[in-house]
Amino acid sequence: MSGTQVQSALAPGAIERGATRVLGWAADVGIGPKVLAGLAILTVWQIGVGALAPPFVAKPLNIIAVMPGVLAGREFLMATYYTLSAVFQGLAIALIAGTVIGVAMGRVKIIDRLLNFYINGFYTMPMIAVLPLLTIWFGYEDKARLATVVFAAFFSIAINARDGARSVPPEFLEVARAYRSPAYLVWFDITLFSSLPYLIAGMRLAAGRALVGAVIAEFFVSLDGLGLYILAHTRTYQHNEAVVGVLMLAAFGLAFEGAMNKITRRYFPWYRRDARG
Amino acid sequence: MLQIVNSDARWVRWLTFMSSLLLGAAIWEIVGWNFNPAIMAPLIGGDGHPGAAPRLVRFLFADEEFRDSFLGSVKLFGMGFGIAVATAVPLGILLARMTMLRVAVESYILALYATPMVALIPFILAILGYDYWPKVLVVVLFSFFPILYNTLEGARSVKPELLEVARSFKASELSLWRDLYIPYTLPFALTGIRQATGRALVGMIAAEFFLSTSGLGKEIVVASRNFDMAAVLATIILITALGVMLMRGVEAIEKRYAAWRGIER
Repeated sequence: MSGTQVQSALAPGAIERGATRVLGWAADVGIGPKVLAGLAILTVWQIGVGALAPPFVAKPLNIIAVMPGVLAGREFLMATYYTLSAVFQGLAIALIAGTVIGVAMGRVKIIDRLLNFYINGFYTMPMIAVLPLLTIWFGYEDKARLATVVFAAFFSIAINARDGARSVPPEFLEVARAYRSPAYLVWFDITLFSSLPYLIAGMRLAAGRALVGAVIAEFFVSLDGLGLYILAHTRTYQHNEAVVGVLMLAAFGLAFEGAMNKITRRYFPWYRRDARG
Repeated sequence: MLQIVNSDARWVRWLTFMSSLLLGAAIWEIVGWNFNPAIMAPLIGGDGHPGAAPRLVRFLFADEEFRDSFLGSVKLFGMGFGIAVATAVPLGILLARMTMLRVAVESYILALYATPMVALIPFILAILGYDYWPKVLVVVLFSFFPILYNTLEGARSVKPELLEVARSFKASELSLWRDLYIPYTLPFALTGIRQATGRALVGMIAAEFFLSTSGLGKEIVVASRNFDMAAVLATIILITALGVMLMRGVEAIEKRYAAWRGIER
């Protein structure tokens, strides 16, 4: 939230947008309430679960107790490695394919009109429904997970790349034409470059979906990874260990989101737009 | 030629859209006929290659069991999504009203918003078992946080001038909600609700896959185990159509109220 405060301190227009006064006051309060609320949540969790739930259910203190052992354990590290490498590989494939298709759609009308219906349709399609199909096509192995990740990530990147390529200011293209720039410069220096912030927004969305895709695929196909780690440990009533897996997933999601936001703020400060989702 | 293709005339757009549909259908049909029916089914199909479209028609109009599955899924979705909307929207506004509490819990809400909820399904299964309500809980979990987050962001951005005017006229808390917060927040809440429809749909099928199998999720799993690709594809089409219709519906409502956002857009 500190970003909002910095922005409102710099831009006078932002003050009229409201909430600044409240925020300013909140900034005075500092992180005290946050820590307090966190402690309160954990205490209620600890005591409530201890009193009401069966003993195998995860409790904060027990999670903290098992955490070092889990984090140092080979099993957990390998699970994390398998899941994250599948997510990154899938994202890389989806990024390249999605950018090519999306930019082509954004710049060439006929391609846009032919593909738009399908790209939007597949984007809305819940990827989990396609999972059984992908497992039949790709077998009960790693490839099915990779396919799920690519399927989950591709369409949001393509849609954002298309929006980005359409939003290239026409003056740039006119100047390029006036100076007779070769086509590849128009594509790489102008179109691709000005779609970059949109691509980053697409990546942010895609990463979340890709992570979900990887976990679902691991549940469904029983592939080694964080999803299966969580599933196996909940089945054997080791919920505290399983929660560490969930925390790892959440941490990855937040870290990726934070990195993308930082890149946008650092390199594309003029870019402000709600990501599609 | 190129000029005609690139023109924005209505008939050109209509024609290209239609040809894109036909082209897609033709590709699907050819692919379907050239693969083993256990791997891929064509759209229309015929002898030895049952098609997805006829299967969908039969599912919808002549298959009691499938209709029950469909209605069961719709009920599960409606229940979970309804609970999520009915709790997340008031909670969002309430948090915006109680600054201290909001500051305290905001980052945790954001963290939960970013957590992949599928990872919690094994816990729900182990603790709550195979009943109906755990499945509703999954749908609620999937859709709750986008709505809460967007509502909170919206209610937080209520203009201070409006609040000041309300305060100087000694508006009661009730009228503050009725005349300021609820109307002001509505478009933001709708954005969250639109995001949540897609997620709730995923949650619905995930619950039907991984908790007690039922509904459309069961139809997909059973059909894919029997390598009945026509049925798998028909069910996927139905789910996608359901998603698109829901999304379009919320989007239409959202557009209607988007003007209220004023300077935000």
